[in-house]
Amino acid sequence: MLKRLADLSRKILSLGREPDLPALPSEQVEALQLTFKSRYHSFKLLLAANTRILEVMADIERALQGNEPFSMSFVQTASASTSVNVFRMIKDMENIAPGRYDALRVRFTAIQREIDALLARKKEISDQRLVVPLSDLTSDMVDIAGGKMANLGDVKNRLHLNVPAGFVITAAAHELFMNTNGLQKEVDRLFQVAGSDMDRNLDLVSSQIRQLIISADVPEPIYLAVVEAYQEMRRECGGEVRMAVRSSAYGEDAENSSFAGQYRSELNVKFSQFFYYYKQVMASKYSVQAIAYKQSRGFRDEDIAMCVGCLAMVEAIAGGVIYTRNPLDRRDDNIFINATWGLPKAVVDGDVLCDLFVVSRDDDLTIVAREVREKDFQIICYEGEGCIRQETGAGVASQPSLTDEQIRELADLAIRIEQYYETPQDIEWAVSAEDGRIYILQSRPLQQMELMVPGEELDLRRYEPSLVSEGGINASPGVASGNVFKVAKKVDILQFPEGAVLVVEQALPTWAPLVARAAAVISEQGGFAGHLANVAREFGIPALFGVTGAMAKLNNGDRVTVAADLGRVYLGSIAPLLEWKRPETRLMVGSPVYEILHEVSRHIIPLNLLDPESRDFQPENCRTFHDITRFIHEKSVQEMFSFGKDHHFSERSSKQLHYRVPMNWWILNLDDGFVDEIKGKYVRLEEIASVPMLAFWEGFAAIPWDGPPAMDGKGMTSIMFRSTMNTALVPGVKSKYADRNYFMISKNFCTLSSRLGYHFSTMEAMVSERSVENYLGFKFKGGAADFERCLGRVHFIREILERYGFRAVVNADNLDARMEGHEMDYMLGRLKILGYLTLHTRQLDMIMGNTPMVNYYMTKLTRDIDSLLAGRHACQITA
Amino acid sequence: MEKPKKCKVLLVDDEDIFREATARQLAVRGFAVQTANCGEAALELVRNDPPEVVVLDQEMPGMHGSETFINIKRINPLVEVIMLTGNTSVDNAIHLMQQGTFDYLMKPINIDELLYKIEDAHTRKQLNEKKRPDNAA
Repeated sequence: MLKRLADLSRKILSLGREPDLPALPSEQVEALQLTFKSRYHSFKLLLAANTRILEVMADIERALQGNEPFSMSFVQTASASTSVNVFRMIKDMENIAPGRYDALRVRFTAIQREIDALLARKKEISDQRLVVPLSDLTSDMVDIAGGKMANLGDVKNRLHLNVPAGFVITAAAHELFMNTNGLQKEVDRLFQVAGSDMDRNLDLVSSQIRQLIISADVPEPIYLAVVEAYQEMRRECGGEVRMAVRSSAYGEDAENSSFAGQYRSELNVKFSQFFYYYKQVMASKYSVQAIAYKQSRGFRDEDIAMCVGCLAMVEAIAGGVIYTRNPLDRRDDNIFINATWGLPKAVVDGDVLCDLFVVSRDDDLTIVAREVREKDFQIICYEGEGCIRQETGAGVASQPSLTDEQIRELADLAIRIEQYYETPQDIEWAVSAEDGRIYILQSRPLQQMELMVPGEELDLRRYEPSLVSEGGINASPGVASGNVFKVAKKVDILQFPEGAVLVVEQALPTWAPLVARAAAVISEQGGFAGHLANVAREFGIPALFGVTGAMAKLNNGDRVTVAADLGRVYLGSIAPLLEWKRPETRLMVGSPVYEILHEVSRHIIPLNLLDPESRDFQPENCRTFHDITRFIHEKSVQEMFSFGKDHHFSERSSKQLHYRVPMNWWILNLDDGFVDEIKGKYVRLEEIASVPMLAFWEGFAAIPWDGPPAMDGKGMTSIMFRSTMNTALVPGVKSKYADRNYFMISKNFCTLSSRLGYHFSTMEAMVSERSVENYLGFKFKGGAADFERCLGRVHFIREILERYGFRAVVNADNLDARMEGHEMDYMLGRLKILGYLTLHTRQLDMIMGNTPMVNYYMTKLTRDIDSLLAGRHACQITA
Repeated sequence: MEKPKKCKVLLVDDEDIFREATARQLAVRGFAVQTANCGEAALELVRNDPPEVVVLDQEMPGMHGSETFINIKRINPLVEVIMLTGNTSVDNAIHLMQQGTFDYLMKPINIDELLYKIEDAHTRKQLNEKKRPDNAA
């Protein structure tokens, strides 16, 4: 592009100066001027669209790093915005050069079709049964029964362990329910209306949708199928059955996403009340927590089918959760059994203390550790319906909730289930009050983390003066700091500031939506088996539970550092501890929404048309939207240059810049780049109206050039060697390439193609009050020294540009830097920098092997630039 | 390029709050703004008191945005039309751009962006009028 720009400029310039060119009649000149204006307007629109596309592509690339949550609506908006702007560029290009690039439309349509197909893809439900009994379920039926029930099917039917009788109301039933009475349409509409302001509208949208679902009638086919399944269950259990009604959403128990506690479960439900609770569970797909979670983990609403599991209620003497391995340490293969009196719900909800038994995998299943806690409360089935929290009573509270025999039996079950699934599991279980047997209620993959041990370099004694609290349960490892924000009521959720340390009394699932926004979590109660701990681990947020008196000890706004692994909370930010923390997890990677964006981006982002000189640089070879934009950008610049040539349009031809003396700078006025019409062959600086060009020039002329740097012997050898191969490089030999610079300007636009000494640079700038359309592009290549040194200079310049906010990439010895979207003043400052650098990096390639010199110039250049930006230099001396 | 003169804009949208708020913002920025809450009313205005630029919502009850657009162009081919739409109907947006809409903006809109598009559409209209003086409105 660089060379072509220069060649084109030269051609056009020589044409413009041709003395014997016949003058055009004035009406023809007027018509030409109009055509030119129209083309130039299209060119401007095209550049604005190009800038917009590059911004959207940068957004997509940022999203693909996977650290920040994004929703399906981001994917749709980003791809729609790219499509429309690419199409805009094609239209503008057609206006600039009618009929020349028709193949672009063909390529556009083909690429768009592929993207549409990706965005329209919807999961088809393979099985249309509305209800499936548990005895028919297996784990490969996740898409019809949801993860929870499908996995439980394996435990019952393939592992033949004790599982209560039950059935699942399937994904097909969910679809039927939602499509009856236009429910799904209304849900979609409510989401669309909430739009990008979802965070603020979350509560309202959530309650509107839940209300819709709860007040809807259950379609008759579902009703009939459930009644039949329930009668079968009665026969199996020999009488009236109370039920546990639990969510079993598709995607809920997939690996790396737990949806822990996001959905509703209802225990001890009478059949007469069943459909009321069925709808409650269905509605919980749209609870505030669930919507927030789905968005932050990249699930699309339509990807989640709310299947509902119904199990015969197990009235438990004791219950809890087994981790078949240590969730906090991959190297620890002991089995962790959390247990309490009554229903396992108490452990899962994280609101009571529970016992912990650690069992080794040796042949004897040795119990290697036991922590028996004061279990003041238990949750039990209420006689009427539902559950109650009840005091355990003196003498029982401090007793172990399991016998050693039961502990070993549970450990044995744990090993069998883990072996079957070939991955660590998180298993919910209960000991039946009726028959004393152990029932498995749920099994799902367990997330494990690396345990971190502080190295010797971390001298913890140094931070002891700022220690606020020590002790507690490492519920999710890591170190983070932030300002304390205590949350006691639901309304506090709305006030919770991004990046604060969440401090709560109980580790309730209600707080789950805050975890993704928190730096760390501190809770006075709760254990690592609870939902909140699961969510914290999933999001990679450090969490420290069981911190006694945290609510009283910490004040809102206190800056604290939470080191979960060490069980410590410090006042202030402790930098060495923070550096030691685990890198952030890439949450979005692998989620359905992420995968779609990833696939869509393959039709947008890759750039295949790299070399404009190549024969392959053709519209037919555009394989992505980026290729199309690159092609159009390149060709549009050429078309703008060649306009004068094609039309013998001398009025538009270039003028030579007269800045005290005539200079080797040539200026082509595209539109309104001059203050007034210029008659002669020279244009003076004060006659130029181009805002970006003037800013560039100010930087260029502000500080005189010191002349070539003192060369060391090696630098000299290097240039002499290259000069023997390329005579154009020999100093003193007049070359047609030496110091020729071409500006193409309008009031708010300017391109420069310049050769100063032995390097080439191009600059393109659009700067106006429309900050969203503002951009700067700068390319730099070449030099007289050997490749290594040229490369050295390119990196040297890149470092400076990045320091001042440019995005810069280096490819071979090509530097490509851009910035867009800033206010006018900021952009003009950056143009001054480019002007300054264009002059002052002259011949700096010579000193690139010499570190002290490099350092000297880095200091000098940045000092000059800083003073230039501070406005301490007026234009002084010519270059 | 000559500065666009005070440009006459017609804003067509069935959402009252959006339409009135946007109209106010455009008026503050020096545009002469007319509004219509449906396609039929918009066509009436285009016939009797033609605007230079129309900002047209795609999703409207009654006469749909696309249909309204085609009718506007039939009445007055030089009026430039900017479509407003949600993010899920790209196909339609591109189809309409092929048919001659000037540009398309996604809701929720950024008012500055809308402003620039109106200015650009206005410039385009002026250029087209000069190119085809016989067709000028």
